[in-house]
Amino acid sequence: MNRALAKQLNLVDFALSSLWRRRWKNGAVLLVFAGVIFLISSFHLVTTALTATTQRVLAPAPDIVIQKMTAGRQESIPLAYQEKLTGLFGIKKVVPRIWGYYFDEVREANFTVIGVDPEQMPLAEHLGQVLARGHFPAAPANAAAPEAEIAPAALGSLVSEALELEHGAFFSLFRPDLSLKTLQVSGLFRPESDLLTADLIALHIGEARDLFQVPAGLATDLCVYVYNPAEINNLARRIAEALPDSRVLTREQVARTYQAVFGWRSGFAAVCLLAALAAFAILAWDKASGLSPEERREVAVLKIVGWETPDILALRSWEALLVAGFAFLLGLLLAYIHVVYFAAGLFRPVMVGWSVIHPHFTLIPQLEAQDVLLLFSLTVLPYLAATVIPTWRCASVPAEDALSG
Amino acid sequence: MAKTMLIELEQVNKTYNRGKANEVRALRDVDLRVAVGEMVCLKGPSGSGKSTLLAIIGCVFPPSSGRAAIAGRQLARLPDRFLTIHRRETIGFIFQRFNLLPALSVLDNITLPLLPLGVPPKECRRRARVLLERLGIVHRENFPAGRISGGELQRVAIARALINNQPLILADEPTAHLDSRLSHEFMAIMAELKAAGKTIIITSHDPLVAEHPAIDRVVEVHDGRVGDTAPEDHA
Repeated sequence: MNRALAKQLNLVDFALSSLWRRRWKNGAVLLVFAGVIFLISSFHLVTTALTATTQRVLAPAPDIVIQKMTAGRQESIPLAYQEKLTGLFGIKKVVPRIWGYYFDEVREANFTVIGVDPEQMPLAEHLGQVLARGHFPAAPANAAAPEAEIAPAALGSLVSEALELEHGAFFSLFRPDLSLKTLQVSGLFRPESDLLTADLIALHIGEARDLFQVPAGLATDLCVYVYNPAEINNLARRIAEALPDSRVLTREQVARTYQAVFGWRSGFAAVCLLAALAAFAILAWDKASGLSPEERREVAVLKIVGWETPDILALRSWEALLVAGFAFLLGLLLAYIHVVYFAAGLFRPVMVGWSVIHPHFTLIPQLEAQDVLLLFSLTVLPYLAATVIPTWRCASVPAEDALSG
Repeated sequence: MAKTMLIELEQVNKTYNRGKANEVRALRDVDLRVAVGEMVCLKGPSGSGKSTLLAIIGCVFPPSSGRAAIAGRQLARLPDRFLTIHRRETIGFIFQRFNLLPALSVLDNITLPLLPLGVPPKECRRRARVLLERLGIVHRENFPAGRISGGELQRVAIARALINNQPLILADEPTAHLDSRLSHEFMAIMAELKAAGKTIIITSHDPLVAEHPAIDRVVEVHDGRVGDTAPEDHA
């Protein structure tokens, strides 16, 4: 065997036995270190998972949404605005949408009700993909009098859970005049889309108009689909010029808002966690620099029996790497389990906020090599430095210290 | 036939804290020559400079001035790193308080000097067992060093000094904490090593060491100067 390799194997072997001899002290450091890595990794995994989920869920969203603004507040938009856009080259389709909030007094919860016409939507096939079961609500057979029919509705997971509704079940919602509108569950959204659909009741636009009693000729907003995605920003600018009393939102802006919210929350948490990491680094430094008399004597004995300073540094580096590496893997594994199997229960309130209905969605973390490297650099490298540098100072003690013993 | 010299010191001086208020001249113009296979006792009161002399012979640090050659190497010309390597290859140390690591097993203590040399673990254990058998403590190989008797500790320290088969053994006050029986045992082992061709330097106040028949000569150290240094002068 190569002598240099054999030497390193000897040092690893000695490092392991050394760690075992001080197992209580090293075990405590390992647990604290794994805890810090667990916290940082969990936040990082939750942030990336939320961002990825948002991007996936927003994929079928309209390219541009137009809302009418009056005195800084949103109000219903006249369908006549559609005609003002017909002259703009590059627009594929303009589809009205009605949405609002329905307050359930029994459960003291707000549901989001949205009404669209799937037949008019260019990306209608995506609607079927986000459903776990059933179909998206189709147009009522008697469009002239929707109030006379039972309206199909697609429900988000929390709505079906809160109202205890299975596929095909009937339920009723109150109109503003307190008359009841009967609905039947025609479809259930997939848990993967829970971030946006957990509290959602999706109806055909005609049924939503009937439920909220929105006058004919008005809608909540207009969804614009374009031919060329590269032209979205350009078209948004031209729409804003054509409809000066409107707010024009692109899909990218909506996604950025989500990212900014998650990023801000994650950043806030990360600052707190970095403080914890810094405290840990100080602890590690203190541990390494404040070597016990026994440890100092060990260094002196090693030197006097012929170990060079780089040998002692290599030994301490192996010890630190074994502790930090194991703590890193343990922390990362626990974070992954925490995020995937326990839906990041510890940090959910911080990351997704509090609401009457807590959206519970499945997080699918994406662990990429660069993220692992970043976490490694933020945690293991400072620990190595905090251990090896003071040990180097200690290893530089003259070997004659051992002779005087 | 001229003897081959293992240790050659000429006009060696060692000053600690040079130029400071607490400057100490530990060695003054020391001349000492020790031949291969010789056993020498350095004798003198505490603070006489014998530990400093042993440290220079042991390549722990170079002299402040003068010429010191150990096993043919001029110490003054060796950088620190090579001083360590030279020490590792040439010298085995036995300390007054043994300087073993109490939490390590006897076997692990003995193999300690071999680890940075890249000697495979199997070979380390084989060499250590040969020495333990020779010193009669092979039954203690897996005991922690902190849980064996003083005599056994002494033997473990000797085994560690011999593990790399170094030609020069240095022992600093090795019998200071041993009773008379163990001191006799220690000197008997040293005599065996001398017979096997090792060069041995022992510092001691103990008359039992200085007057042991295996000692070739006694070198008196007083106030940093050495006295009787000629092998032929020692009766």
